[in-house]
Order: sequence, then structure tokens, then C-alpha cells
Amino acid sequence: MRDFTHGELDWRPWLAPLDLNTATEQQLVALKVTPSNRTVGAYSLVLAHDPEALAERSPLYNGIMFGPRGLPRADRELGAVAASRINGCAYCASVHALRFTQLTKEPEVMERIQRDGIDAALDPRRKAVLDYAAKLTRDPVAIGPADASPLRAQGLSDLEILDLTHAVAMFAWANRLMQTLGEPAAPARKGNPL
Amino acid sequence: MNDVMDTLAGLQPGSPLFDLRRQRPDVVKHLQGSNSAIFSPQDDGGLTRAERAAAALRVATLLRDDALAEHYRIQLAALDLTGTLAGTIEGTARMTEPRWDAILAHVDLVTRGPGSAEHKDIDNLLAAGLSSHAVVSLSQIVAYVNFQSRVLAGLRALKGGA
Repeated sequence: MRDFTHGELDWRPWLAPLDLNTATEQQLVALKVTPSNRTVGAYSLVLAHDPEALAERSPLYNGIMFGPRGLPRADRELGAVAASRINGCAYCASVHALRFTQLTKEPEVMERIQRDGIDAALDPRRKAVLDYAAKLTRDPVAIGPADASPLRAQGLSDLEILDLTHAVAMFAWANRLMQTLGEPAAPARKGNPL
Repeated sequence: MNDVMDTLAGLQPGSPLFDLRRQRPDVVKHLQGSNSAIFSPQDDGGLTRAERAAAALRVATLLRDDALAEHYRIQLAALDLTGTLAGTIEGTARMTEPRWDAILAHVDLVTRGPGSAEHKDIDNLLAAGLSSHAVVSLSQIVAYVNFQSRVLAGLRALKGGA
């Protein structure tokens, strides 16, 4: 798997991105563009073709991935990595693996997942998180009350299980947008003017 | 307005799971807001509300999510009075319209194999007459229903209680 670490700057759209110079007020609001901040990535500029959906999705994403209390942020990133790997979005998996490692300072966890896949041997709590994320991603209809038991057995509260559900579900959404409206591009090398 | 996820999950005000969801007020608010923006937008970009409901029904059917499919079946029936679009999803009717064929092909691709999407798949939608706005809306619909099915699954897992 390639190691993408530069976020949406390295994403190449298949649909012409919105031109900020011709954007409507509604599109600028959805993008949170202000006179002092006109730095918007290509991915957001593509999504801004439907400003109503973008204006709701951005705060939904932030609420799910950064909401206070509940499931530790690193575990939300772990759920994002599992979903992204199964959905085949190497770019998304790499970005969120990096965030996990920044939060936990435990690079060996993502190294192991990179090497052995989502069946990698991890500590029991993370294993339970990964197993649930994988099943929810692959076949949501197969999920039932029994699937919460391994998470509860590892001490996760109902709020934490809800948070994990939201994070995994958000990547069923995000991966599909990112993979079908464009593709990752090779990051520009430092010092290369191109 | 009724909250779509509470309705789909059968959550009554005051029930433990209803209250649990309220511990994430931003998620409740913007999930419902996303639902409204996706299925009843002010500006549909050329992708009608009936077509949006039909695309969602197709996703729910592919996921074998019966509760979600029924939800979109009812939503579509109120918008597609002749049943023409519904027939193309349920297999009871055919519509030989290149634009709609291109839309359905894209719904299937984005649901089942997003990793195999290519640049030409977007070109096909544009060639079939969809605007950039409609292409993004269609992508949001398919991705959102995939999200929605998984949130419902998680609520089902939690419904058993501690």
C-alpha cells in the first residue's frame, strides 16, 4: 500500500472543480471560504457543486470524528482505517493510519495492520473494534445485538459503540466519494516546482 | 419534522437509545440535515426528487436492507405517481432511456465496487446529460444510503441493551 500522507491536496478530480471566482454565495458558505481563507482543496471544490449536501456533511463529519468525550479519537481513526482498507481506498486508509499513529504514538499498530491486514493480531480491545468495523463495513444487514457483546466485554460503553458505528459508517460514505469522483495523485516531491 | 433515523430504527422519545443519540446533538442535527439536503434540496441540479428516491431504493435493494428499501419505496411512490421509475428498480418495467441507464449503472458501481471506478464512469454520466451538480448529488445519494444502512445496523446492535 502506498503511503499517502498529504491529505486532500494529493487528490486528482475527474469532474472539473468549482471555480471560486464564479462560485455562488451559497457555495462559498458551504466551503467556509472567507476573504482571508481561500485555500480549498480540489475534493471540497468538487463537492461544492452540490452546496446544500456539502453544508450539512462537513459538520456531520466533524461531529462524528471530533465530538467530545465518548470513544477516544484514535479508535475512531482505527474504525476509519478498517473501513477504508476494506473499501479499497488506500489513500484514505493511509491518511487515517497516520492520524491514529499521531494520536497514540504507537506506530507498531498500523505497521502490523499494514503487514497482516485487518485480521492482524492486536490487543483484545482494538481487535474487538477492528472486527466490528470490518463486519459493519462488509455486510451491515448481518449486524445484530450479538455484535455489541464483544465490544461491551472490552469495556466500551453504549456511547462509545455509537461513536464507533458513526465513524465506520462515515467512511462508507467518504470512501465512496473519494474513490468515485477522482483518484489519488502522486504527491509532489519537495523542491520540485512542478 | 420527524427524525428519519429514529423512525427507521423504531426509537421512541424517552427510550434509552433515543436518549443515547441525543448525546451527539451535532450528529443528530446534521444527519437529518443531510437527509433533507439530499432528498428534498432547494435546487436539485437537474436530478429530480423522484430520481433521488429511486437511486436510494436501488442502493437499499443492493444492500438487502429491507427496512431501508421499504422507506425509499414509500418515498418514491409519493413522487413517481406512474410507477415508471419504481418499475426499473423492482424489475417490473423497463425504461430505455440512456440517461437513466447511466444513472443506475453508476449507482451499482458506487455501491458495490467503488474501488474499481474510473475517470470514464464520470464522463459517461456527463455524456448522458447530467450536470456537474447532478453528478455530485448522485454520488452523495449513493454514499449517504450506504452510510445510513450502517448507522441503522449499529443501532440494531445496541438495541439489545447492555
